[in-house]
Amino acid sequence: MATISFDLVSPENLVFNDEVGTIIVPGKDGDLGILPGHSKVMSSLRPGRVMVYNEDKSLIKSFFVSGGFAEINPEKCIVLAESVVEVNSLEKTSIEKEIQELENKEGKETEEQLSVAKAKLEAINVNYYDKI
Amino acid sequence: MPSLKDIKTQINSVGSTKKITSAMKMVAASKLRRSQEKAEAARPYSSRLEEMLSSLASSAASGEGIIKLLTGTGNDQNYIVVPVSADRGLCGGFNSSINRETFKLVKSLEGSGKIVQLMPVGKKSRDFFNRVMKEQIIESFVDLNVSSTGYESALNISNKLQELYFDGQFDKCILVFNKFKSAISQEVTQQQLIPLDVSNSEKEEEKENSSNAIYDYEPDEETILKDLLPKNVSIQIFKVLLESDAGEQGARMAAMDNATRNAGEMIDSLTLKYNRTRQAFITKELIEIISGAESI
Repeated sequence: MATISFDLVSPENLVFNDEVGTIIVPGKDGDLGILPGHSKVMSSLRPGRVMVYNEDKSLIKSFFVSGGFAEINPEKCIVLAESVVEVNSLEKTSIEKEIQELENKEGKETEEQLSVAKAKLEAINVNYYDKI
Repeated sequence: MPSLKDIKTQINSVGSTKKITSAMKMVAASKLRRSQEKAEAARPYSSRLEEMLSSLASSAASGEGIIKLLTGTGNDQNYIVVPVSADRGLCGGFNSSINRETFKLVKSLEGSGKIVQLMPVGKKSRDFFNRVMKEQIIESFVDLNVSSTGYESALNISNKLQELYFDGQFDKCILVFNKFKSAISQEVTQQQLIPLDVSNSEKEEEKENSSNAIYDYEPDEETILKDLLPKNVSIQIFKVLLESDAGEQGARMAAMDNATRNAGEMIDSLTLKYNRTRQAFITKELIEIISGAESI
């Protein structure tokens, strides 16, 4: 079966770079599933999970990104994300605490941080896409 | 003529200076490697972003709001200059060349009737411009430690700049920084940050892209561009900070290497002087003894 090359890049380093079977990215208007031979798309991303799968549809890794961009062409998919963490390394209690703190504050920046934190919490709690 | 003891103390003090400079050289060398790795790790992101931007830029003719980062305000009157220096000295001409170049740029802009403001980054340029053109500084950023804090520090600068820009405080922003060429050479470079200068970003690549750039955009081109532009400003600043950090370590390494070598030469010549003086003393004493014995 065919593979597609996938780059996950953060400003600080290249997080992931390999040939994979399927990728799911959180597009601004909805999740995008990317298979080899996908048509050319450029999309901005909302905070959420980037899921990477093997050729036989088993999950390799799942990352949380706080927004960014994806550039997709038939051979390659590049995700530029501002901050990248592996979903497994997120800690539920500390994020809940962060949300509580942020809810007491106001301002535009806090709102953004809050939505990112909430998306983080969601990323831990949900398990759809674990099997596709 | 200095006594033997004087020369001996001088040799000792030069020796301990040499020890310090050679230690600083080693530290700079190891830091350089780390900074270089960081700068290289950041490269894929910024180059990809530039590619995306150049394929999108053509679609934006003119507009209000965030698009202004690309198209400019239409004026050419108010400038903001951002010199990026190091926080510490002892790195050769690294800081002074930035300050000199910025000073020249500001003077030439003022000469053609522009209003110039400054936003120095790094202690050395802040201190310098605090002395010579204090009233033009609107903000300064020091103690950034890019190699440890990373992207956050660039984000602060970028947010401040954009806040001022959309407030109508300036029309153009120019960065002055040391571009990292190799471990021993840096080049003072000026880069226009706002409005974005798309023309100079690898034209050949752009041509290649435009021939096959038929992308679908989601949600749409304008929305993506609006997200992309502010991010690009931060990324450009981040890249510049990393380059400057690597350049600083390189410059310090070269400066300290020179200092160590000079100290070595100085010790050699002082030792020679010491031996000559010692011999002269012995000869003098011998002559005194012999002439004393002869006269008896």
